[in-house]
Amino acid sequence: MSSPLFTIPGIIEGRFLGLLLNVILVLLVIYYMREGRLPYMRRVAGLDAIEEAVGRSAEMGRPVVCSYGIAWDGFDYWTVAALAVLGYVARLCARTGTRLIVPTGGSDGSLIVRPVAVETVRTAYLLEGKEEEFDEKDLPFLSGQQYAYTGGYIGILQRARPGAVIMLGSHYSEAMNITETANAVGALTITTGCYASNLACLACASDYILIGEEGTAAGAYLSEDPAQRASFRAQDIYKWIALAFLILGLIAINAGSDFFVRLLAT
Amino acid sequence: MSAFFRSREAMLIVMVISFLIVFIPYFFNVPALEEFSTTWITIAAIVNAFTLVLAVYSQFRRGIYFIRTGKRAWGFKLWMLIGIILMIIFATMGMEKGPYSWAMQAIITPLSSVNYGILAFYLSSTCARAFRARNLKAFALLVAGFIVLFYQAPLTGAIIPGIEPVARYFTETFAMAFARVFAISVTLGAIVFGIRVLLGKEPMVLGFTREER
Amino acid sequence: MSEERNIFRMLAEIDRRIIYLLLFIVVTVPILRPIAMPLAVSPDTKQYYKVLNSLGPDDTVLFVLDTEFSGYMEIQSGVLASARLIIEKGAKMAIACSHPEATGIPPMMFSYLRDVMEKYDYKYGEDYVVLGYIFPNEAAVASSAQDFHGVVKEDWRGRPIKGTFLDGIHDWKDWSLIAIFSTGVRSDAFIRHYGLRGTPMVINCIGVMIPTTKPYVDTGIFKALLPSMRGGAELEKLINAPGPGLAAMDCFTFGHYLVIFFIIIANIGYFGYVRRRAER
Repeated sequence: MSSPLFTIPGIIEGRFLGLLLNVILVLLVIYYMREGRLPYMRRVAGLDAIEEAVGRSAEMGRPVVCSYGIAWDGFDYWTVAALAVLGYVARLCARTGTRLIVPTGGSDGSLIVRPVAVETVRTAYLLEGKEEEFDEKDLPFLSGQQYAYTGGYIGILQRARPGAVIMLGSHYSEAMNITETANAVGALTITTGCYASNLACLACASDYILIGEEGTAAGAYLSEDPAQRASFRAQDIYKWIALAFLILGLIAINAGSDFFVRLLAT
Repeated sequence: MSAFFRSREAMLIVMVISFLIVFIPYFFNVPALEEFSTTWITIAAIVNAFTLVLAVYSQFRRGIYFIRTGKRAWGFKLWMLIGIILMIIFATMGMEKGPYSWAMQAIITPLSSVNYGILAFYLSSTCARAFRARNLKAFALLVAGFIVLFYQAPLTGAIIPGIEPVARYFTETFAMAFARVFAISVTLGAIVFGIRVLLGKEPMVLGFTREER
Repeated sequence: MSEERNIFRMLAEIDRRIIYLLLFIVVTVPILRPIAMPLAVSPDTKQYYKVLNSLGPDDTVLFVLDTEFSGYMEIQSGVLASARLIIEKGAKMAIACSHPEATGIPPMMFSYLRDVMEKYDYKYGEDYVVLGYIFPNEAAVASSAQDFHGVVKEDWRGRPIKGTFLDGIHDWKDWSLIAIFSTGVRSDAFIRHYGLRGTPMVINCIGVMIPTTKPYVDTGIFKALLPSMRGGAELEKLINAPGPGLAAMDCFTFGHYLVIFFIIIANIGYFGYVRRRAER
């Protein structure tokens, strides 16, 4: 490991730059959210397809299966972002009178998340004035073990034959099993690629895929709240900074200087 | 008083304090907080164990409902409940040897491995269905995938040594570059998402909807 | 008007069940009738072997089973071959798990390696200790990196670890090597709390993790990477201890070739039927 450019007493060695970047990012996000100016955003096909998926299922008279992931670490950012979109999907299903099935489980942490998911879906049905159509049995806890959950999920897909399968949040190796089965039963599949190694397979197996930050930005994208969307600008700025570091670092390394390596180790 | 504890403000305060407890010791040398984090581990482990108890209770409740109402495939639910009870009994008889160890090695391991191994079948049908040269980009992907798959077969590396540098070039430049870019993108998205949550701009996280905000 | 049925359409719309059946046959037959095809050893495995081969009796290795049972089968050959090499070099080994299912692996491991342990007089407490499931989350990994004995006081049977070779381990600096056998449960936590501080680490991971783990090898956080079952088989070949990895390489090869075959015929069907139908 390279030695840092400098150290500051009180701050753990090698973490000063990370702290500085985090603090600046927080300030930037607050600034842009206060400014409220809506940045240009490209269309995200996967998120736009959610409405199409629910509509398709309503026309076919088939249910929608939507999952928030296996929540391996409990409330991680993938799961929390997925819950936001689950609320949106639940409202669409309530509005169109489509049955919504939310298989839960997959890890020990998923049980902590389940009550929030149940409340999210119940609230969505309530807001659409269809509370009597909400059935908690449509949010079955399948298992705390990943592959037992997968077996249950696939069983639900093969019995219910949904019109759409929306897999949000953190899905790992079971994602392949589920998407291929969803394809086999003729469902439109929208998945989130939270695990880089899964992306190639999911891109082939599913109809739409949300890659990387599209999954975490989904809630803000669908909410159409200017303040939430304005925060994406800060992300873009940091991506440009990362690109600048990459290019300058590449030039510096080839010129024989380890300045950027040491800077990143500060 | 109880209304305050159920309010968004209370939830946000708890969230911000929890965030600072984790954030500060990561960057600053604060021995007292480090000691506190050790206590948190114990609390987290206890909560984790408690969720297992809840999971078992939830499975029993659902299983008994299925069996009592005679729903389709209720026999599988009965078998699952019998399995849970047996494993609990076996665990009390000792975990290193005996029926628990036998169950883990003769039943759980093969079943888990088979579920994981089934991935190969799903992958092969996905490859046959989706790896088609529909356009130029898909063709480039197909060629790269073909070379890497071919190299991954152990025999190929032994009989065609020349394929190794090409396949490694694909995995060690393109694939690795993508993995790095993905990591940067996801990390940024997660941090900004976290900031939105801490600022109360993601009401769904707290269980509120936009209308209730 | 019904559409023509021809060979191209058959290839384009090949039934999944045929694919599954052929794959099953192609994977099962080499297990029943091994062929022992040649295997080249990759530079990654050579580097991994070099790191483990440089260990000695004064070294202490934290052997982390960062896996559940399902993924363990893919890295089993690497686990067994690495453990065998560590035992042969006489290094001390502390086995820890970061998933409850992994606690079933050490007894299977030592049952398999009983002969080499007897040969090298590898004793519990003096040469190895099984710590059990001590890494339930990242906080546990972080705390163990800063104060090992503050987090771990007993082995997996509840016996105190005081008096064993672990008395010399206080924090991240004291480990000679951390060998992680991972299916992705908690490996990133070890990178953050041990690797970034400079503790030497090696990893044996499943195939899908290789692209995301390779950057850490390049930056020196991991000294070496043993790739999946194939790497385990190559390591078995290097240390001349054939095991489950080498036994699986025949079906590994045939399985890959079959998938390539399916891709080729599906594309033939695509161009011969689907594209033509779209053009018409």
